[in-house]
Amino acid sequence: MTALEKKFVSFSVAVAVLFGVPQTVSAMHIMEGYLPPAYCVAWGAVCLPFLAVGIITMRRLVRQQRKTMLLLAMAGAFVFVISSLKIPSVTGSCSHMTGTGLGAILFGVPVTTILGVIVLLFQALLLAHGGLTTLGANTCSMAIAGPLLTWGLYQIGKKLRVPRLPLIFLASMLGDLFTYCVTSLQLALAYPSAQGGVGASMTEFLLVFAPTQLPLAVIEGLLTMLVIMGLETYAKTELHELREGRRGLFHDAE
Amino acid sequence: MITALLAAVLTGSLLAGHLPGYGVLVLSLFVAVGFRLMGHHHHDGVLSIDGLAHHSRLYQENAFLKTGGSVALLLCCLCSPSPWPPVCLFFFLAAATVLLGGIRLKDYVSLMGVPVVFLFLSVLTLLWDFAGSAPKDAILSVPLFGGFLIVEPASQVLAVQVLARALGAVGCLFFLSLSTPLPDILLVLRRIKVPVVVIDVALLMYRYIFLLLRTARERKQAAASRFGYGSWRKSLRTTGLVYAGLLAHSFRRVSACFDAMESRCYTGSVTFLTETRPITKKLIALIGVPLGGMLICLVLLW
Repeated sequence: MTALEKKFVSFSVAVAVLFGVPQTVSAMHIMEGYLPPAYCVAWGAVCLPFLAVGIITMRRLVRQQRKTMLLLAMAGAFVFVISSLKIPSVTGSCSHMTGTGLGAILFGVPVTTILGVIVLLFQALLLAHGGLTTLGANTCSMAIAGPLLTWGLYQIGKKLRVPRLPLIFLASMLGDLFTYCVTSLQLALAYPSAQGGVGASMTEFLLVFAPTQLPLAVIEGLLTMLVIMGLETYAKTELHELREGRRGLFHDAE
Repeated sequence: MITALLAAVLTGSLLAGHLPGYGVLVLSLFVAVGFRLMGHHHHDGVLSIDGLAHHSRLYQENAFLKTGGSVALLLCCLCSPSPWPPVCLFFFLAAATVLLGGIRLKDYVSLMGVPVVFLFLSVLTLLWDFAGSAPKDAILSVPLFGGFLIVEPASQVLAVQVLARALGAVGCLFFLSLSTPLPDILLVLRRIKVPVVVIDVALLMYRYIFLLLRTARERKQAAASRFGYGSWRKSLRTTGLVYAGLLAHSFRRVSACFDAMESRCYTGSVTFLTETRPITKKLIALIGVPLGGMLICLVLLW
């Protein structure tokens, strides 16, 4: 490439990044009807064991203490509400949180998975984000993969005595990024590129969605950190109650 | 604006090679202007779909048939090997939702804006491929970083297929969600034996969403009137505080709710009054005609 060509290309990339950011940015839901039937079924099947564990855990929790059902419902409603409200963003477009990282840190993975499925169903029907046939794939990336990574990193970090707040920021940010990578992989597996196969098409999807998803992950991490900070200041009793409840659950499960 | 730009690029790369160059250009511009005029969706009412569903004229129809029929149509749509049946299905269902359901066309179009951005971005990714050298049959090729961005006839066919299927599927989804309120759908799920715990939690969640949204709005207004959203840093901090306050508030609210329920003989299960609505001939025709059409198309095309 000549110098002029190089300049032209970098200019066009800058324009693309600047203007390529869509007006509405939410975490990457695969839309209704985008995946071929075989992939819908396959991703749904992958979710099944996680859903089973989630339902068993939830049943046990509710049987132990009836109040838990209301608490779970409220937590689910909270996740839905924060995923439908605007958050401040860098580019002036309006974006939304996923809230699943926060859920994983506060309530653990199995419960977050079930709440996540319900939230995804609600989002498909009430907000037209995502869809019914892609529910399995979206559950896999947003309600299973992301929360699992966030929870895992949070636990490992706690063992290694990483300071709490940076740990929460890192765990939820990386969880969000992981969700975005898994979604790109799902898209690439369904429609591999003719030239370079799954790898090339995954790179393409990652690049196309990067300008919206990278800042979103950072903001999600910051907000999760701020929310937990706020909770520790203003709702110490409730947070303690929640922890006690969960500890009881884990003893029961062992 | 962005949607319009994306739409124009998409039309251009879909039609390239099928029409002379100026035709492609004119059509792309035309599509862009169309999308610009349509505008995009607003955020004033988060739950606008819910309100529309409650006011739909199809609200009184049997929920089981509506849900089952929409899902069956959705599956037919996904299995279609040709782009035409899903596109026809979309127009049929959109017409049914708007004309029979009494949803305003303006609302329907602005709701379409939500999935459209994702669809355009990902279909463009399907269309444009990156290769080391431009193959002979490429319709468009743009040199980039020592390689070529290319559009091939095969990827054009695939993109049209995906676009049509997704359009049809969104038609089915909107037909369901703009005629059936969420609790009705959840009760249908309970009847097909989805675990009771999940449905109970979901039903309660649906009720809490409205409470939390109102509280969130009040808190945001209170924060805004105290210049809480003055700068980017401040607004991030305020948002965090508002969310934390919301969560703490909701936990406290749960305790009050639980006490109220206990004092009204709560035994661990939540039951709501449900009425089964009769199946009308209108609804059978509304679901049966497109379903029959789709099935015939599938049989003929396979």
